Amino acid sequence: MRHVRADGYPEFAAARAAHLYRSACLLTGGDTHLAEDLVQETLGRLYVKWGRVSRAENPAGYAQTVLTRTFLAHRRRRWSSERATDTFPDVPDRRGADADTSLRLTLVQALAQLPAKDRAVIVLRYWEDRSVQETADVMNASSAAVRTRCVRALARLRELLGEDLAVYVAP
Amino acid sequence: MPVEQHEDPFEDRLGDALRQAGGTFEADRVALVAGGEVRGRKFLRRRRAVVAGGVAGVALVGVGGTLLVPWDGGGGASVAADPTPAPSVSASASAAPAEPISGNQLLRTLKGLLPDGKVSGEEALGTGSEHNPYARLVYDDGEGGGAVSVGLGRVEPGSDTARELITCPDERLVPHDSCSTTRLPDGSMLQLFQGYEYPDRRVDTKRWLADLVTPEGHHITVTEWNAEAEKDSPITRPEPPLSPDELRGIVTDAAWRTAADALPNPSDTGSEAPPAADGTRVGETLARLMPRGLEVVADGGQASEYAYVVVDDGKGETLVQVNVQPDIISSDPMLDTSRQLFGSGAEVLPDGTKLTTQQGPGDDKATGLIMWTVDTMRTDGLRVVVSAFNSGSQVTAPTRDTPALTLAQLRDIALSEEWEQLR
Repeated sequence: MRHVRADGYPEFAAARAAHLYRSACLLTGGDTHLAEDLVQETLGRLYVKWGRVSRAENPAGYAQTVLTRTFLAHRRRRWSSERATDTFPDVPDRRGADADTSLRLTLVQALAQLPAKDRAVIVLRYWEDRSVQETADVMNASSAAVRTRCVRALARLRELLGEDLAVYVAP
Repeated sequence: MPVEQHEDPFEDRLGDALRQAGGTFEADRVALVAGGEVRGRKFLRRRRAVVAGGVAGVALVGVGGTLLVPWDGGGGASVAADPTPAPSVSASASAAPAEPISGNQLLRTLKGLLPDGKVSGEEALGTGSEHNPYARLVYDDGEGGGAVSVGLGRVEPGSDTARELITCPDERLVPHDSCSTTRLPDGSMLQLFQGYEYPDRRVDTKRWLADLVTPEGHHITVTEWNAEAEKDSPITRPEPPLSPDELRGIVTDAAWRTAADALPNPSDTGSEAPPAADGTRVGETLARLMPRGLEVVADGGQASEYAYVVVDDGKGETLVQVNVQPDIISSDPMLDTSRQLFGSGAEVLPDGTKLTTQQGPGDDKATGLIMWTVDTMRTDGLRVVVSAFNSGSQVTAPTRDTPALTLAQLRDIALSEEWEQLR
């Protein structure tokens, strides 16, 4: 039964793709190729079950959840045990602004040094503004585990970036 | 939506910095959306609509699963399952096993098989692409042009997918003028279908096709229309240009099988869906669970998972359909729909079963068609979705104000222990 899809999926995908991609770039610690792959995978999964997703309370939030789980599943497949990357992925510079680029590089390189799950916690908590409990739900973890990861990741980022992040944030 | 007060100012600064850094990643949205759609279709093909997107999807599975859509030429996306396994589109896909065949070669083959006439509007995709190959043109025998297309794919021999491809659709789900399936001397199964582009015939564009599945798993479809394009194009002649016999002659030509050999074997690139509940038993169970006073006047369904009955209480027909999807969670953790999609609004029964109900329009055309649905998921992942319409079919006008079954009755059916025996 072929017909042009009129159920809102194409519009949703077009509207959310950019945000999902940015989340994915942070989740992957700046690996833009992997980020593209994850976003396509996520959109593909939403495509399959759009009928239900579209009726969920928060389809955008659901998309984010699928992205995070796809990322974590990818890590599980790729590495049998979790470890931090010690090489920095190539971050293509698509924007000229020096300040932005340097912020991005520094921050993303710091993120890349965290274990994948810690990175996911940071992205969910501080980029997505999810609560600890919501973060735990997304990651199929306990809220205690999320808190532990969060404390550890914050300490590491503080160490890497310095206490005063103001230099990285434009006024 | 900040939901928790951060105790540490570093956390707020980190949030600002992340937003600023994240905002500098510029996405190629068109590529992302297109890539997502390709994968979505691949998932659908692979799991044959085990989860075709919830109730609306489920309703369509009954229609789309038996419909014959061998390829999608791009542009409009298909909501219903496209049942043809296709080569994997991931970057890691293994190389095609045989020499690729170009789109021009496919066109040449098609033109060589057509009776005398004029050909225009040629378009094709060879076997080297990540999409399924096809050749398409407008053929005019002098009586008016009609679109003719050939699509190639591979299916796993003996699989449910292969079987459904050559199973005639149910008249109640896909009204048509004629459909037959025959076994050819070489063991191939051939289906000849004469129906309509739109099952509800809102436009009388006819769509005739021949579908061939060989014992080796080649899947070849020749489709033609009595218009120069399949959709939104004026009808040019009363019937498509090629007779069913001519369609048969084209689809069985050996050249297509050679071309399909160049496609990856689906057993190499993806797995079939997990074992599914047998369709016949699903149908028998559904009929058995109908409340007293309702006469079952028709029944049908698919090879697996989906079945329907049409019941009559003396005041008009009601289509009742059920989808039984075993254990979709453990087969793919990404499809952990229970928590997310049976979200906060779901009722949770003492045994942990989640349940939601919906009462809404049965289609998107404001015809007055109503669909009532009870969607349930057991703790082990078994999903049973029961829907009832105020009509004897999903594609005809309402025959009554509301379905013949109450929502409570639908609920009893969905929660019956009998479904658990089907796994």
